[in-house]
Amino acid sequence: MLILGITTSTAQVGCAIGGHEGVLGSVHSTRGRRHAETLTPAIEFLCRQTRVELAEISAIAVDLGPGMFTGLRVGIAAGKALAYARRLPMIGVTSLDLVAFPLRHSPRRIVCALDAGRGEIYHAAYRQSPGGVQRITAPAVASPEDLASDLSATAEEVLLAGDGMLRYQSMFSSLRRVEVADAGEAYPLAGSLVQLAHAQALREEWVSPAELTPLYLRKPDAEINWSTRDGRSD
Amino acid sequence: MPVVATTASVDQTRDLAAALAVLARPGDVIVLAGDLGAGKTAFVQGFGRGLGVVERITSPTFTLVHVYEGRLPVHHLDVYRLEQMSEALDLGLAEMLDEGGVVLVEWGDAITRLLPHDHLEVRLTFGVGDDDRLLELEPVGPAWARRSAAMRVALGSWTGGA
Repeated sequence: MLILGITTSTAQVGCAIGGHEGVLGSVHSTRGRRHAETLTPAIEFLCRQTRVELAEISAIAVDLGPGMFTGLRVGIAAGKALAYARRLPMIGVTSLDLVAFPLRHSPRRIVCALDAGRGEIYHAAYRQSPGGVQRITAPAVASPEDLASDLSATAEEVLLAGDGMLRYQSMFSSLRRVEVADAGEAYPLAGSLVQLAHAQALREEWVSPAELTPLYLRKPDAEINWSTRDGRSD
Repeated sequence: MPVVATTASVDQTRDLAAALAVLARPGDVIVLAGDLGAGKTAFVQGFGRGLGVVERITSPTFTLVHVYEGRLPVHHLDVYRLEQMSEALDLGLAEMLDEGGVVLVEWGDAITRLLPHDHLEVRLTFGVGDDDRLLELEPVGPAWARRSAAMRVALGSWTGGA
């Protein structure tokens, strides 16, 4: 079984193909002009280089966020389009889980944070578990100051990762018992997505394209007050 | 204190906006308020020209967001067709603001709670003649308040020679 994985929740666009043999190939770019313009050619290149036809793909995995709204929508829309067209099941994985997964060999508490824009970050904490990581706090949105003050109160050794940590590095690097991982661990990797999705696929934990929704942590429910627009008789 | 200007044609509204664009900085947010036909899109057209945008600027009422390349990237939004605050966030507002461009939002006065506190509100109202417009440019927060004096100078031709 081959899975195509798509990650677009950050400044990095990524795609990978893999399955029981592991990751056959992956393409990542943080220098693309726009996610929509980078993703499809990247998938095409990936298929060519791994000599995999789209017809051989049996599931589509996508990074659900939280992350950049525009990026997420590009990746999820592309994944859904492929899944609908080829009648494939989908698997969604949280962006923060993807940042934590490559750090699974660390015995420390792992805290991942992705840049949420507007001076905020999305974050979640993890600890090592057999074969991977286990999420121990729900993904949340916070100011880096609040996260830093939470971390300064902990007695555990902590490893921080994600582009949110890099952006606000100065707030975290001075904390005791805290290490900030380097830029190599800043973004959700499509290879990790394929690996995690493969494990889920073996348990048949998939969803239909219609059921798959992005993880937005910052959605105000309020309606726009249109007294100005609707007050007039047009 | 808002800067108050008057224009007598759509072209003058564009020229005024182009003159204001000289003061634009990365991360600026301009809220455009005013009825249909008041000249919000014309304002953005002039503002874009002032920032060196060569592409034709058209109304984003149905397409929601247009992005243009100029001295600074210009993000032109229209929230008229939106009903939910969440839809405005879906436009990627946070990223536009982080990207260092200028964001101009038609009907932006309806979603001010989603916008940075620091912005310039431009309110366009109809004047006596069919093509006359009154423009009130009000800095909200320090970013534009600091530019009030420069704004008065830049818009001197339309502020009654003050």
